[in-house]
Amino acid sequence: MADVHLSGITKSFGNVEVLHGISLAVASGEFVSLLGASGCGKTTLLRIVAGLETVTSGSVAIADRDVTALPPERRDIAMMFQSYALLPHLSVFENVRFPLRMRGIGTRAEQHERARDALETVQLAHLGDRRPRQLSGGQQQRVALARAVVSRPKVLLLDEPLSNLDARLREDMQVELIEIHNRLGLTTLFVTHDQDEALSLSDRIVLINQGRIEQMGAPAEIYDRPATAYASNFIGAANLVPASIEDGAGGPLARLEDGQHIALGDQVDERGPVTLALRQEDLALAPADADAGDGLKAQVRTRVFLGARSRYVIALGDTVVRVIDTGRATFRSGDRVRLTIDPERIRVLPR
Amino acid sequence: MTDRTENLVLVLPGLLLLALAFFVPIARMLVLSVEGEAGLTLTHFERFLSDPFYLSVLWRTVRLSLIITLICAAIGFPMAYIMAHVGPRLRLWLIVLVILPLMTSVVIRTFGWMVLLGRSGLIPEILRDLGLAERNFAIMRTEAAIVIGMVQVLLPFMTLSILGVITRIDRRLEEAARTMGCSFLGTLRTVVLPLAMPGIVAGSLLVFTLSASSFVTPNLLGGSRIQVLAASIYRSVTQTLDWPFAAAQAVILFAGVLLILIPYAQLTRRADG
Amino acid sequence: MVRAVPAWLRVGAWVFVALTALFLLAPLVVVVGVSVSESQFIAFPPDGLSLRWYREVLQSDRYLASAWISLRVALAVTVTACLIGGAAAIAIHRRTLPFSEAMATFFLSPLVLPTIIYAIGMLMLWSALFGPVSILTLWLGHTAITLPFVVRTTLAVLSESDPFLEEAAKTMGANRLQRLWLVVLPQCLPGLLAGGFFAFNISFDEAVLSLFLRRPDMTTLPVQIYGQLEFSPDPSVAAVSSIMIALTVFLIIVIDRMLGIQKFASN
Repeated sequence: MADVHLSGITKSFGNVEVLHGISLAVASGEFVSLLGASGCGKTTLLRIVAGLETVTSGSVAIADRDVTALPPERRDIAMMFQSYALLPHLSVFENVRFPLRMRGIGTRAEQHERARDALETVQLAHLGDRRPRQLSGGQQQRVALARAVVSRPKVLLLDEPLSNLDARLREDMQVELIEIHNRLGLTTLFVTHDQDEALSLSDRIVLINQGRIEQMGAPAEIYDRPATAYASNFIGAANLVPASIEDGAGGPLARLEDGQHIALGDQVDERGPVTLALRQEDLALAPADADAGDGLKAQVRTRVFLGARSRYVIALGDTVVRVIDTGRATFRSGDRVRLTIDPERIRVLPR
Repeated sequence: MTDRTENLVLVLPGLLLLALAFFVPIARMLVLSVEGEAGLTLTHFERFLSDPFYLSVLWRTVRLSLIITLICAAIGFPMAYIMAHVGPRLRLWLIVLVILPLMTSVVIRTFGWMVLLGRSGLIPEILRDLGLAERNFAIMRTEAAIVIGMVQVLLPFMTLSILGVITRIDRRLEEAARTMGCSFLGTLRTVVLPLAMPGIVAGSLLVFTLSASSFVTPNLLGGSRIQVLAASIYRSVTQTLDWPFAAAQAVILFAGVLLILIPYAQLTRRADG
Repeated sequence: MVRAVPAWLRVGAWVFVALTALFLLAPLVVVVGVSVSESQFIAFPPDGLSLRWYREVLQSDRYLASAWISLRVALAVTVTACLIGGAAAIAIHRRTLPFSEAMATFFLSPLVLPTIIYAIGMLMLWSALFGPVSILTLWLGHTAITLPFVVRTTLAVLSESDPFLEEAAKTMGANRLQRLWLVVLPQCLPGLLAGGFFAFNISFDEAVLSLFLRRPDMTTLPVQIYGQLEFSPDPSVAAVSSIMIALTVFLIIVIDRMLGIQKFASN
């Protein structure tokens, strides 16, 4: 029963309120990502759960016990820092044993055994005698992970722990994190600004914007059905195009500012001014002259070759739209094109 | 216990020690300088400022300190520049070269100069042998001896304070200047010198202050006839035992130093921030 | 990086460095030279070669008594300056107290205020309050002027350490005392060591404060040497000085081996 309950958390630094009443329940064993741009308050929220920051109002409960007033050393948590925060004067092994020593868990022999086990799970048992400085970034990362889980905390807090690693290592570590999380069933709060990381790791994503929860839900849900313009822009970097909804002959249509219109799926209820969220990868390009028909007339401004795909910057009236195209045909800057999209993939967001 | 209490407990012994054993004594000295037999008085200051002898002591102190500061800056800047630009091994040796004298007692270094500059010392002898000086030529007990000794004592301070700034200058700025057609010396003048200025100014103020307030080297190399302010203070304390007058002279020195230190404090704060 | 420097300037730079080195080291070399002289008189280059002046020094009550006083004061100063200065630096570094910046300036101020001004104040205050000066006066005075060095070196190493170590220790269950002892103190150690070496060196070599706060029966080594120089120097002064130079060289080697001298030279 290691669930975390945050209710009505606000936090001010001086006169500036950075969290405006956040309530969140994390179920036991759940992996929840706090996702948001830098400065949105996600790290502050995590530090409040850890007890490293006090709340201005609101309360924190871990496993049904109110811990709002408890200092971090008396909360049953473990935290992994962006800088890893390995103690430079202790060996790798002693770093991993440190939480057991401090919390007085087990006898000396038991502590040694558990520290050794924890190092083994991250495949670093052979480097126990080294100093943290002598290890590579990825190895330090794994030591920090072993140190975080060695005491079997009720809650594991991760503060952008992968952001200092290069792309390859980061993917390996993501796999390792998922495996360890599944094996130990730890309730985990994971702070990140990287949407891909949040999408691939979490059971649930909490999108935070300017100190408020913008949207929360399972990764697929948040990805497919962003509730707000901010959410759709932040996750999947969708194009946001202003339009207004009218009733057309065959169902609702969206009329863009330059007068062109595009068909929508049937179940759109909004009418009047809206924002259309068009995902880069959902848009497709066709030559303007090919069998004229549906699709929006637009003009290519720039093409960036990405290997298997190309990224286009397209002028659609006065709006700039980005498209990731996997088609064979290539267009050059200045070419007139038609922009098409499956009506079901268009998200209509109230303005 | 809160974080604040813990830190207060940690910092308090130091605050108390400095307040009671450093600032209270200085305050006591300030008070003594205006203390007369009947209440407050400025007679000690009047005595100093109206006596041509003491005014000449003051003038000599300022003049020699300026000369010493200028020479230190002129040697210290190229020295620091070279130290910042040589390989790590050589740099280590050069740093030891600067620090060894710095960490050696002033008394000992001055003793070395007494031997070198004395009547039968190596330097006058060489000068005489080369025919550059007359037979009864002497350096000891001249202002030149004070300047030579003090420059050696204070050069390390200047070099290290310039070095601290020069090592932080982005090396690519010099390379960029060269690619833009600037010669080596031109780069030194238009790029390095302006950027090193905070270090040069800070070093100069430090050297000037230390120079104006030293008496060990001036006393031993200049003798009792060539007095500087700090030596006169020492004399008033230990020989004439006129403490209020010593305090008044120290206050004059203190005022001069503060005039210099206030811009210094602002300068270092800007360099840190 | 001495690339692309005109050749004449490179030669000039080497000559300049050599002359500066000569200038900086000359007095020390001379003192050591005089100390091994056989002659009764101070002479450089030395006449003959002998260690008789060292023997003289080691048999002289005057020098030995002074050395004993200097050593005791320097050791006491080192310990107190490290304890008080280290604790203060930790508190200032954490920045939880108001006026942390102002406190840092306060602790560093003895560095820039000329010692002579402080020395005369200390002498006057002590005499007014407690009468004649004692070894305690010297201890307090030297602690006050060496404190900034310990504070500065400790602050320097703390500012380079990972700022999240203490917080990480909190999340691992370490209490206040454990954090101070097991986490913060080990981070401070290099700074404390360096500051301690400087404090010892300054106290042992310092002449200004010691000249003001002296008693005929309480002279430190530098004061003893100064007295000899004013009146009747013989090569035994050079021998004592050489021993002190050797001690300084030893300290520099130790600092460099343990911590790297470059780190502390340029800040």
